[in-house]
Amino acid sequence: MIRPIRLLYPILLAALLVACNAREETRPQPPQSDSAAAQGTPRRGGTVVTGWTTEPLGLNDLIFPTTAMGNEVLFRTLQHLVQEQPDFAEHPATFTPQLAESWEWSDDHKTLTFHLRKNLVWSDGAPLTAEDVRWTWQAQIHPAVAWDSVYMKEFIRDVEVVDPHTVRFHFTRAYVKQLLDVNEGLILPKHAWSKLPFEKWRENPDWFLQNRVASGPFKIASWTPQQEMVLVRNERYWEKDRPYLDRVVLRFVPDAGSLMTQLLNGELDFIAQVAPNDAARIRERPDLDLVSFWSNLYVLVAWNGTRPLFADPEMRRALTLAINRQAIVDTLLPGGNGRVGVSPIIQSVWAHDKTLQPWPYDPAEARRILAAKGWKDTDGDGVLDRGGKKFSFELTSNAGNQGRNDAAVMIQQQLRQVGIEATPRILEFNTLVTDTRSGNYDATVTGLTLDTSLDLSGNFHSRSIDIGDNYFHYSNPEVDRLIDLAASQKDPAQALPYFHQIERLIHNDQPATFLWESQRLAAFNKRVHDARPNVQNGFFNLKDWWVEPRQ
Amino acid sequence: MAGFLLRRLFASLLLLYLVATATFFLVHLAPGDPTNLFEGQRINREQREHLRHLYGLDRSLGEQYVRWLGALVRGDLGFSLAQQRPVTTVIAEAFPATLLLATAAIGVEYGAALLLGIAAARRRDGIADHVIRFASLTLNSQPPFWIALMLVLLFAYVWPVLPASHMHTIDADLMSPAGRLLDLLRHLILPALALGLYNAGPTLRFVRGSLIEVMGMDYIRTARAKGLSERRVVWVHGLRNVLTPLIQLFALTFPQLLNGAVLTEIIFAWPGLGRLTFGAVLSRDYPLILGITIFASALVILSNLLADLLQAAADPRVRDA
Repeated sequence: MIRPIRLLYPILLAALLVACNAREETRPQPPQSDSAAAQGTPRRGGTVVTGWTTEPLGLNDLIFPTTAMGNEVLFRTLQHLVQEQPDFAEHPATFTPQLAESWEWSDDHKTLTFHLRKNLVWSDGAPLTAEDVRWTWQAQIHPAVAWDSVYMKEFIRDVEVVDPHTVRFHFTRAYVKQLLDVNEGLILPKHAWSKLPFEKWRENPDWFLQNRVASGPFKIASWTPQQEMVLVRNERYWEKDRPYLDRVVLRFVPDAGSLMTQLLNGELDFIAQVAPNDAARIRERPDLDLVSFWSNLYVLVAWNGTRPLFADPEMRRALTLAINRQAIVDTLLPGGNGRVGVSPIIQSVWAHDKTLQPWPYDPAEARRILAAKGWKDTDGDGVLDRGGKKFSFELTSNAGNQGRNDAAVMIQQQLRQVGIEATPRILEFNTLVTDTRSGNYDATVTGLTLDTSLDLSGNFHSRSIDIGDNYFHYSNPEVDRLIDLAASQKDPAQALPYFHQIERLIHNDQPATFLWESQRLAAFNKRVHDARPNVQNGFFNLKDWWVEPRQ
Repeated sequence: MAGFLLRRLFASLLLLYLVATATFFLVHLAPGDPTNLFEGQRINREQREHLRHLYGLDRSLGEQYVRWLGALVRGDLGFSLAQQRPVTTVIAEAFPATLLLATAAIGVEYGAALLLGIAAARRRDGIADHVIRFASLTLNSQPPFWIALMLVLLFAYVWPVLPASHMHTIDADLMSPAGRLLDLLRHLILPALALGLYNAGPTLRFVRGSLIEVMGMDYIRTARAKGLSERRVVWVHGLRNVLTPLIQLFALTFPQLLNGAVLTEIIFAWPGLGRLTFGAVLSRDYPLILGITIFASALVILSNLLADLLQAAADPRVRDA
């Protein structure tokens, strides 16, 4: 028999371990209300601990796939020539100076000259000059580097160093995305990274971690794979008195539930993605704040236009009419976290045609269209048929995305009401990608993102059927013409009439049924001030964040 | 003995080769390839083909296999396509964390199994026996990730006395060595409990059953007749005959734990092989998937080989068979 006294040993050991806590852990309390910090005066110093479900793949964005997580880190340690602002709701996005303090166009819009700030210095003390800008462009287009976004530099003929603080881009033609294309890609340190030939970049990706330097407000102090990354203030950052924070810790927690738990128990100060189901719980907490903003991701049902069932635009409209998208949004994105989709130009950007209304939920009209096309339930099994073939198809979605999986089930039930048999099938992500890309699917619930250039050619231009992502196999010559016309404008605002026409045509053709647009939610502890996460980055204005001391 | 050793070694290497080959072809048969990492970015067909060429994916499957096998023989497990680092480096970084977690989990599993199994055997068919057996069955019936989540909820949120994830607190490197060790142990408690408690059920029942059988033997009756205390009869004489099969069980199950507990490591953000494997599969990182498989298979095969050799050393009938 085990003596009771011996049971005390493990209990004592456990108590010792719990007591030996190097970090003060108390129940989260709201920040003090009488401190100067709480009244809005930024305070220099402190650490913010943030939680993320993924981690960056590497530090050289030219050789690693671009990921949102990678951008969160790299955009704080390296910089662009200019910074795109998230103000594209009412007008085309504006750009503010970053490494460049000013810029001007030539009259023919084929030359763009940047004037760099005079006080730019890398974190190791070397000056940041126009040579870095030119060398970065050379790296971006080098075939051995094989940068995945090199297509964005297609129309840049040359990059000229006028003087150490002036660099000039020469284009082969004028078009609407010139500034975006020039600005794509961070400016890299020639003095540090040119020591490794471009041909050896992909063979030695670790080398960039060992030879890292920074031009942004922070630099990487340490990176423990699968655990955490620590950013510290870059004392040589060009903007005086910024950043306020001493340190930013990024903890990698792959499980979203565990991430939420750590926010609630105070281990984390900020998480960039909160599930809609957790929003209410965060709002109840006096020590936490929730921020929401409309995402640039929209979810749709992509109809494979090569399948006879979905080749006719009128049939696709009937399918859209038969799907109660509002019910899907109300169920899956409660609390106003979503809205019914209208077109691929999402409603939160300036170019969306606000007069365009989503197709209503009208199963009666759907049935009428289907009947007019010859679809009738001749055998009484509840499923429409025509010429001996049932109106039956597979509706795929990717495993791990519960929202889309649930949407597929709801769509199945709704289409059943009009006599259409849709069978949901959940596939592993890579399998889904392969099937969709090869056209081996009927219909799929998927998501697309709209970048601020509003370039729809990748998904809706007919040339992208073979070489892009037009996996709907959608082809409308007028849409093609208008997309090309919009892209050829020098000023995005001049393309507005074309965007509206494109929207209406796609809205009419319904190559996809646009299910919903959703809000992204970010949450942070109220000790963190001036945090303004947005659709571009959770860390968008990290240099302006400041914190109160932990209680 | 030398002949036995050679035969077992040859069989082990053959098994490792077959496992590696099967994994190679199965992985490549799955839809998609590592260029899917670029999904969502607009790379055109030429660029995708260029990347496939860089990764060697444009060669025939047979050629890829021959090249891969040749490198493997030279000890080169290749380059992780997602992490862009040598596979051996990636595995070497992750394995210690898995080894630590596995060791702790085994400690929890066997510690609980021995204490409670013995208690149940000594109180056979009593209330304590029923409660222990019911508890072990209940725990083993729960998915391990559920146990992990409940532990996080209880001890990191409702009663926040233990950390919810990671191996160390922030700034643990500023602590004294003793402080750092204690910090590590604090972080180890919940994942070790999650993994160990889940596996403790069957082991507990094994201990209970074996001890009940042993306690009915003649030599136990003799020990009692000699006037030895019941505690000494059970712990010294009875347990000795339970330990031998328990050690064999340990030799078979421990390597499986070393392959990494995927769900536990994900929930606790434990930087081990299980979590690494999960990420590699999602990103179709062929070299890393194959490297981890080779490593894990080698561990299992080696442990079985060692167990066989130890048994052969102890029992001549085995090595002459």
